[in-house]
Amino acid sequence: MALEFDRSILGQVFDETDFPPVDKEDILKFADALGETNPLYTDEAAAANGPHGGLVAPPTYVTRLRPKKMTPEHMPRFGKVGFDGGRDVEIFAPVRPGDALKMVSTIHDIYEKTGRSGSMYFIVLRNEITNQDGEQVAVVDHRIMQR
Amino acid sequence: MARVIDLHLHSEVSDDSRAPVEAYLKWLARKRDERPLDGIVLTEHRQFDTHSDYRALEDKYGMLILKAAEVETEYGHVLVYGVNDAMLQRFDFSNVRLRAQELIDEVARLGGVAMPCHPGRPTIGLIEHYENRPPLRGVVGVEALNGGSKKGENERVAELINSYGYHAFGGSDAHLVSFVGICATEFEKDITNTEELVEALRAGGYRPVDFRVRRAPAQPAANGA
Repeated sequence: MALEFDRSILGQVFDETDFPPVDKEDILKFADALGETNPLYTDEAAAANGPHGGLVAPPTYVTRLRPKKMTPEHMPRFGKVGFDGGRDVEIFAPVRPGDALKMVSTIHDIYEKTGRSGSMYFIVLRNEITNQDGEQVAVVDHRIMQR
Repeated sequence: MARVIDLHLHSEVSDDSRAPVEAYLKWLARKRDERPLDGIVLTEHRQFDTHSDYRALEDKYGMLILKAAEVETEYGHVLVYGVNDAMLQRFDFSNVRLRAQELIDEVARLGGVAMPCHPGRPTIGLIEHYENRPPLRGVVGVEALNGGSKKGENERVAELINSYGYHAFGGSDAHLVSFVGICATEFEKDITNTEELVEALRAGGYRPVDFRVRRAPAQPAANGA
């Protein structure tokens, strides 16, 4: 028997967050914190001659965006403890200074697997990020593991 | 045609791997001297990948690319080769509580072969379950060499094989590109498609091969430094 839960919760939006415009200094600080040396992310003048025509954020910048509600109010529970199971990030468009980003969060998937230490349950929270033009910027799938 | 095949690996189709299939093939092309593989079998977790078409990659890299599945049972994880529509209708591969005996019997009846993998692992390996459950009927072989197993886990399998007369095969269980082909299976006959793979796995005439580089331990300097 497959894992039983109310499948109607899949795809339901549990949070929508609008972020203030992306600050250029914030991009530069983020790049510096990563030790980034690519001038596309660190040098405004050099980036102007690059493929994006200006400074852009390093791809993983989108992982620092936090929704107002990290998890749904009625988060399913399949075990006693939960912890961060990592994030998958898919990038579709660069983040530029001044972009007004919006994040829409849903429960994307719930599944069970077995490993050396027994059963594990994964809840995948999907955060879809768009910019002020409605352009899809990134999809961040955040896995929460419970056991 | 393929004689040396990695029978167990995962691509980005699985939830816990981010390895694109072409990246595996590029890596094998670079490591040809160390890992002389002719083919790979993608065994995605709890599913059979019906969507991906790897024929163009087969032609580009000159490698046999087949698809199978790794499913979960009360006796541990099992690789299913020769998956077809009838099997997918018969079983929900996402169910982590499949009945192993039913799976082995039905997969054989429907034209495939189900073979337990990493049998030496705790919880998800056959050996631990044989300690308190009856042995499964119809098992033709087990993964005696698994590239993802911890020290001691592969070593437990020899006694299982001797006791039950199982054939032994090997696979990398790669989830990361650089692990592809570290363990594989060498067949006595060429394999060109899934049907021939199933037939060969049932019949025997193969052995696990270990391509992991064994580096000699560092020697202390003459001056003792």
